[in-house]
Amino acid sequence: MDLASIVYLGMTFGLLVIFVMIVVRTYSKKRKDEGEIAKYRMLDDD
Amino acid sequence: MWEKKPILLLVLATCAIMVGTIVTMILPFAWVNTEADRIEGVTPYTALQQEGRDIYIRDGCNNCHTQTVRPLVPEVLRYGDYSKSGEFVYDRPFLWGSKRTGPDLARLGGKYPDAWHYKHMESPRSMVPKTNMPDYGWYSNNLLDPQMIQRKMETLGFPYTAEEIKDLEGKNDMDAMVAYLQKLGSDIPWRDAAETTIVGDLVNPYADANQETISGWAPIYADNCAACHGPNMEGEIGPELIGEDYDDEILFTIIYTGITDGGMPSFSNLGTDKVWKLTNYIRTYQAEGSQ
Amino acid sequence: MENQTYNYAIVRSFVTWSMIWGLVAVLVGVIVSLQMVNPDLNFPPYLTFGRLRPVHTNAGIYGWGIGVIFAAFYYIVQRLCKVPIWSDKLAKFQLWLFNATITASAVTLLLGYTTSKEYHEMEWPIDVMVVILWVAFSINIIMTILKRKEEQMYISLWYMMAAIVGVAILYLVNSAAVPVSFFKSYSAYAGTNDANVQWWFGHNAVAMVLTAPFLGMFYYFLPKTTGVPIFSHRLSITAFWSLIFMYLWTGAHHLLWTPVPDWIQTLAMGFSIMLIAPSWGSVFNGYLSMNGQWHQMRENYLVKFLILGITFYGLQTLQGPMQAIRTFSAFIHYTDWVPAHIHMGTMGWVSMICFASIYYLIPRIYGRELYSIPLADLHFWLTLVGQLIWSISLWIAGVLQAGMWNAMNSDGSLTYTFMETMVEMYPYWWARVLGGVIYMAGLVIFIYNIYMSVKKGEPTAVPTITTEGRA
Ligand code: HEC
Ligand code: HEC
Ligand code: HEM
Ligand code: HEM
Repeated sequence: MDLASIVYLGMTFGLLVIFVMIVVRTYSKKRKDEGEIAKYRMLDDD
Repeated sequence: MWEKKPILLLVLATCAIMVGTIVTMILPFAWVNTEADRIEGVTPYTALQQEGRDIYIRDGCNNCHTQTVRPLVPEVLRYGDYSKSGEFVYDRPFLWGSKRTGPDLARLGGKYPDAWHYKHMESPRSMVPKTNMPDYGWYSNNLLDPQMIQRKMETLGFPYTAEEIKDLEGKNDMDAMVAYLQKLGSDIPWRDAAETTIVGDLVNPYADANQETISGWAPIYADNCAACHGPNMEGEIGPELIGEDYDDEILFTIIYTGITDGGMPSFSNLGTDKVWKLTNYIRTYQAEGSQ
Repeated sequence: MENQTYNYAIVRSFVTWSMIWGLVAVLVGVIVSLQMVNPDLNFPPYLTFGRLRPVHTNAGIYGWGIGVIFAAFYYIVQRLCKVPIWSDKLAKFQLWLFNATITASAVTLLLGYTTSKEYHEMEWPIDVMVVILWVAFSINIIMTILKRKEEQMYISLWYMMAAIVGVAILYLVNSAAVPVSFFKSYSAYAGTNDANVQWWFGHNAVAMVLTAPFLGMFYYFLPKTTGVPIFSHRLSITAFWSLIFMYLWTGAHHLLWTPVPDWIQTLAMGFSIMLIAPSWGSVFNGYLSMNGQWHQMRENYLVKFLILGITFYGLQTLQGPMQAIRTFSAFIHYTDWVPAHIHMGTMGWVSMICFASIYYLIPRIYGRELYSIPLADLHFWLTLVGQLIWSISLWIAGVLQAGMWNAMNSDGSLTYTFMETMVEMYPYWWARVLGGVIYMAGLVIFIYNIYMSVKKGEPTAVPTITTEGRA
């Protein structure tokens, strides 16, 4: 494997980790209500 | 967290945007247009050429024409040697374009004689009847503004002489455009390198073709040669072809490899078959004289 | 009940002006499509193809696209934040600066003052106007969000905020130039660098103008129209971050096989393919929001526009990544295939959402019902048919053209001369004229319908605009 492939692979892996972290955070049980409330609130009228 | 904090959201969004920006847009400045890209022989535009380039931009020729040849076989065959980064270091802005309604112009310089361009720009359809390129005959009435051009050369930091600027007096948009078109892609000596050589023996495959078959090849002449040699070979930009009496091999060679210094383009991209047909067509026509 | 304090006047003005610029864009589109089949329609020096085409593209993207974005977001931001706009004066100023900028752009482009950089053709004085315009809009939107009464920030606001910073960065960097005079400047970057900066800008103009704000609008108008919330707010958030992160890497897919360094091209290719995920995240979110509501496709003309719009977006974001693959690009780049891609995006996705937004807004900002729903249906079909004729004929044309450009004889020579390939395009270009005229007919009907609604429409049942749900 040449340097370029290692860099590409490393980058891909790094991005994957960040992505998984975001998904885990967004979809954690704790945040379910918090994350979804906005979609109901926008339908309420003032 | 950021779900309810607009400023934080803006900051984070900016960060997200900046990562790709830094890697693919800012970092490349370290590699592009550096010493490693430099190509011997690539020179800045002269005052006249630069003005031609600005006219090209003004009239949006880049909306129909590209200026970059990709390293792909059919493309190199059609247009010439593929483009290299170092050839564009004086291009502000770049003019690679994104749509080929007309052909690529990156390797245009030296392809045709000046007279061809004057006639073509004046009225493309007089030479290529089915083209949709607009007429630019009005260029001949627009005189250049030497002071302005001098200022442009100053801004760009390109070398120029007082004489050069003085010579612009009385020249028009058309002269500038043709000067620019002739410079395109000719800084590197690719034409010499690409000099077509014919391999193998030259044997005329159509030596026995009859008159009728040969007349059927007239459209190949009309499409490729008539613009310069006239519809009846009477000559115009190129010389009259009637009255010459070359033998098959010589005629084939002239058409196939061209006489590039003299303004006769190479037609190797038509393929040997079509070039042989032309050879026979011209020979027959020559023998008969114009009808 | 604070409705009365909302500033709908500014929304009304932007709706009107965006429709005017939309009509200009499409009219000029039809004109340039005619010039491509008949060069006698070029009237030098001002009205030649090379000068009119940028008028078409800029009027389309900036006059029509951004005009509707301004209209829609001045409405959306007030409703989602439950406060009136931060500054009415600034908004008014911005409206007139917007019109002045678009007018000045059209005039200077016709006069030949251009930088030639696609979607950034306007010379530097207009760049200055654009910057002021965008700053004015940004301040107004951000300040409104900051003093909002509704704590939650719905996804539409996220997309708009990302677009605000995105456009600012892109536009500023790409406009760097050294002026020679008031009407002429030279790019601060040269050759390959200039190309790379330009297409970093170019592709992200697609992201930050033709994608992000329109997704925001889609996410707002769809649930408001159907009356049911979107499928998942968290999915929209995940897609949001992925989208704005990944788009910026992909500019060089416009420069495959050019002298731009290979690794930039490879990154662009990789990220373009990954972009399918967040793009389709939004598409699925839209479709799943329709669960149990599909009957509304028949009953509610607004839903038709929105769902067709997101469908075109879905197709666009599958086709785009395909075009970003080196081998495929080698084939279709520079051909008529690409305009077909573009117009599925602009006439399908972007314009469908624009139409839906305006139809939605009219009763709410004028207090009058739509004049005629059958006309709106007719408009829908004309738009769809016109668009399909446009794109399908040009896809065929592009493949044909690419095939001919690449065809080689057994002796290694090319089969066709350039002109032999070009004359084959004429029938397809004529078909495009037909598609364009049909589309324009739809647009004229649309404008007529809106005009009549404002003049003669029935007053809305509940006078203040609080009726949500069915349009
Ligand atoms: C509507 C599209 C269009 C525009 C605009 C246009 N051209 Fe063309 N051009 C063509 C087409 C099609 C051809 C091929 C047929 C021909 O030679 O006319 C062509 C051919 C050419 C050629 C000959 C290339 C060759 O290798 O044979 C040159 C040179 C040229 N154009 C220069 C220009 C310049 C300079 C401008 C701007 C002032 C311009 N064109 C504007 C469509 C266009
Ligand atoms: C761009 C204009 C141009 C085109 C197109 C062109 N020619 Fe020529 N041709 C010339 C010029 C100029 C010369 C004179 C070259 C010289 O002798 O230096 C020439 C010379 C020739 C000669 C040699 C004539 C002589 O008196 O020595 C032949 C034969 C010829 N061309 C054939 C063709 C054929 C066949 C075609 C079409 C495939 C063609 N040319 C297309 C410009 C052109
Ligand atoms: C995942 C999403 C997308 C990807 C990866 C993508 C990819 C591409 C590629 C590779 C090209 C260059 C084609 C070529 O010249 O060979 C292109 C052109 C273009 N696309 Fe897309 N596309 C996407 C979505 C969109 C959307 C949603 C629009 C909205 C209208 C759009 C509008 C355009 C425009 C205007 C161009 C033309 C640029 C030019 O002037 O050359 N694209 N796209
Ligand atoms: C009736 C409708 C329309 C017609 C007939 C039309 C026609 C055209 C034509 C003929 C071209 C030039 C293509 C070429 O050079 O080969 C073009 C380019 C373009 N049009 Fe349209 N158009 C229409 C609607 C729109 C709309 C509504 C938008 C934007 C919102 C738009 C955006 C563009 C863009 C961005 C390009 C540049 C393409 C490129 O860079 O390759 N068009 N259009």
